[in-house]
Amino acid sequence: MSRKRIVSVLGALALVLGVAVGFAANPIVIGVQAPITGQYANEGQGIEKGVKLISKQINDQGGLLGRTIEVKTCDDAGQASQAAICARQLVNDHVVAVIGTYTSGAALAAEPIYARANVIQTSDGTSDKLTAGGYKTFFRNAPPNSAEAKFTAQYLVSGKHYQRIAVLSDHSSFAKGLSDAVIQAVKADGGNVVYSGFITAGSQDYTAVLTKIKSVNPDVLYFSGYYPDGGLIRAQMEQLNMNAAFVGGDANQNVAFAKIAGNAAQGAIIINVPSPENLPYPAAKTFLADYKAAYGQDPPSIYTFTNADGFRAVIQAIKTTQSTDPTKLIDYLHNLKDFRGLTGTFSWDKNGERIGSPFTAFEIQADGSYKIVYPESAAQ
Amino acid sequence: MDVVLQQFINGVTVGGFYALIALGYTMVYGVLKLINFAHGDLCILAAFIGLSVLTSGIGGANAGALLLAAAFLVAAVAIGIAGAVLEFTAYRPLRKAHRLSAVVSALGASMLIENGIMLIWSPEVKVFPANLLPDISWKVGSASISFVQVMIILGSLILMAGLYFYVHHTRFGTAIRASAIDQDAARLMGINVNRVIASVFVLGPALGAVGGLFVGLYYREAYFNMGWIYGLNAFIAAIIGGIGNIPGAMLGGLLLGLFNAFAAGYVSSSWQEAITFALLIAILLVRPTGILGERVAEKI
Repeated sequence: MSRKRIVSVLGALALVLGVAVGFAANPIVIGVQAPITGQYANEGQGIEKGVKLISKQINDQGGLLGRTIEVKTCDDAGQASQAAICARQLVNDHVVAVIGTYTSGAALAAEPIYARANVIQTSDGTSDKLTAGGYKTFFRNAPPNSAEAKFTAQYLVSGKHYQRIAVLSDHSSFAKGLSDAVIQAVKADGGNVVYSGFITAGSQDYTAVLTKIKSVNPDVLYFSGYYPDGGLIRAQMEQLNMNAAFVGGDANQNVAFAKIAGNAAQGAIIINVPSPENLPYPAAKTFLADYKAAYGQDPPSIYTFTNADGFRAVIQAIKTTQSTDPTKLIDYLHNLKDFRGLTGTFSWDKNGERIGSPFTAFEIQADGSYKIVYPESAAQ
Repeated sequence: MDVVLQQFINGVTVGGFYALIALGYTMVYGVLKLINFAHGDLCILAAFIGLSVLTSGIGGANAGALLLAAAFLVAAVAIGIAGAVLEFTAYRPLRKAHRLSAVVSALGASMLIENGIMLIWSPEVKVFPANLLPDISWKVGSASISFVQVMIILGSLILMAGLYFYVHHTRFGTAIRASAIDQDAARLMGINVNRVIASVFVLGPALGAVGGLFVGLYYREAYFNMGWIYGLNAFIAAIIGGIGNIPGAMLGGLLLGLFNAFAAGYVSSSWQEAITFALLIAILLVRPTGILGERVAEKI
């Protein structure tokens, strides 16, 4: 008997069984493609646990369209080769949508396979390539690499109305890439960059460059580098009696920042996606509590939440369209306006890019804790 | 004008660290013609030892100034001893060997100390407690100078003047200078050259230890591999001033600090280091022995 034959026989058998059990009880199958093992196992397991938690909650309330949700997980170990195998397997399992995966490389390898099968894929992968392929089925649930710069520019120009913006970076490709993007975004938003320059990370003395910056009289200094330098810059600004506000990029978020900056730390602003316990939205707090209750541990990162958001959007699509027809669902998701996610309000553009990032600006308080101050919808 | 003054203050403070650390390079070179590449790491080790004293809680919460003095004393003594041990184990057995062997030994010692710091104090950035020193600053026009800066500038000047006096106006200082000129002749005159060399390895690191702890107190952070940056800059300061020459090391340190500040302030912070090193090359092209390195006969 040829392999094709076996498959068709099994298929017929499944059909008969399906009919026997009755179509009404036919579950809606949701796939999870995630690194359950390997280097990113922690993250992958978080994604799976988040999806299973939401499915269980819905099933306990009577399911979706009168059907239960069944979750099928495939472990891609964070690797592209395994991801392609997972994608084929999940397609064969007739999933409506796939949540995950964590790494861009694995998401990229699976992307064309899901697209051909018309299966929705929602991943947190940050690579620009994921949305460049023109696949209708792909929906990124996390902010892309460029989102931090856009959010920063929005905060500086529209949020705080700073008139004179100074930008400082170190020579690392990460910090330089971020500062270049911020400068570009600030200019695009009509902001005025009065100074841009570099420090050598780890050289500790930034008084010379700060004195120079002070002389051009900016009302804010944005620093895209890392916290050991950021903390010192903040402290030395104070030492030089600079009045400019300090705004730091995501690499400044570390408890050591406030310790290094000492008395000067209070009032410094850091821009980053909030950690799970700092997500300000009530739905996120509920989800976090439920997750802890169910698994006795904290979710590994914000990506558990962004992937859960991808899943929640798919659920809303199924509910609203009263259908599991992928074409209808994809159309709905592309036209979804201001979806209220656990990680902030967002929509998707025609490339499946997330519009509306979960970034927040938080202010360091006297005791070293963070208080979210922007966007207003997130500020308490 | 205020910007110039502020950059001057910035530069002199940093120059103070460089000068204190540069003294150790220059003294060792003066006597042994050896570049002690482990010197920068010894100085930063002092910052970590000082930090441990300061956070030990000895003397209770009100120990303040006394604890600070103890930190300087413990760091200087410990690093002085470490310097002597380094000389005895890493350099003395190689004194008659090819000079490259001693340089390799110095680089090895540098890595040993650096990784030792990492293992003992962890690879994370260590933060000095806040409010150790009074948070006072004075306004000079629109420029400002803080208490720590004044302490560093005055402290460095006093130590450097003390060292200069010691080397030029005491019997043992004369022995050091004699050993620097000609070790064999000094030995014939009854000078215990080994003791002189050991003393240089105690004095230089002990002064550098004060510099290292100044660095820690000023920036309030220390990490295990920063000895390399400070060592390199101090080494350059020693060369600018004329290696082997004590006033030269002081001058070189201050000049390097000022170069750095004005390059960042008036040209471009991205090019700060390139400009500093271009100046170094220019100085060496015009004066290959460094600014004060004229009297080749007597280098110390």
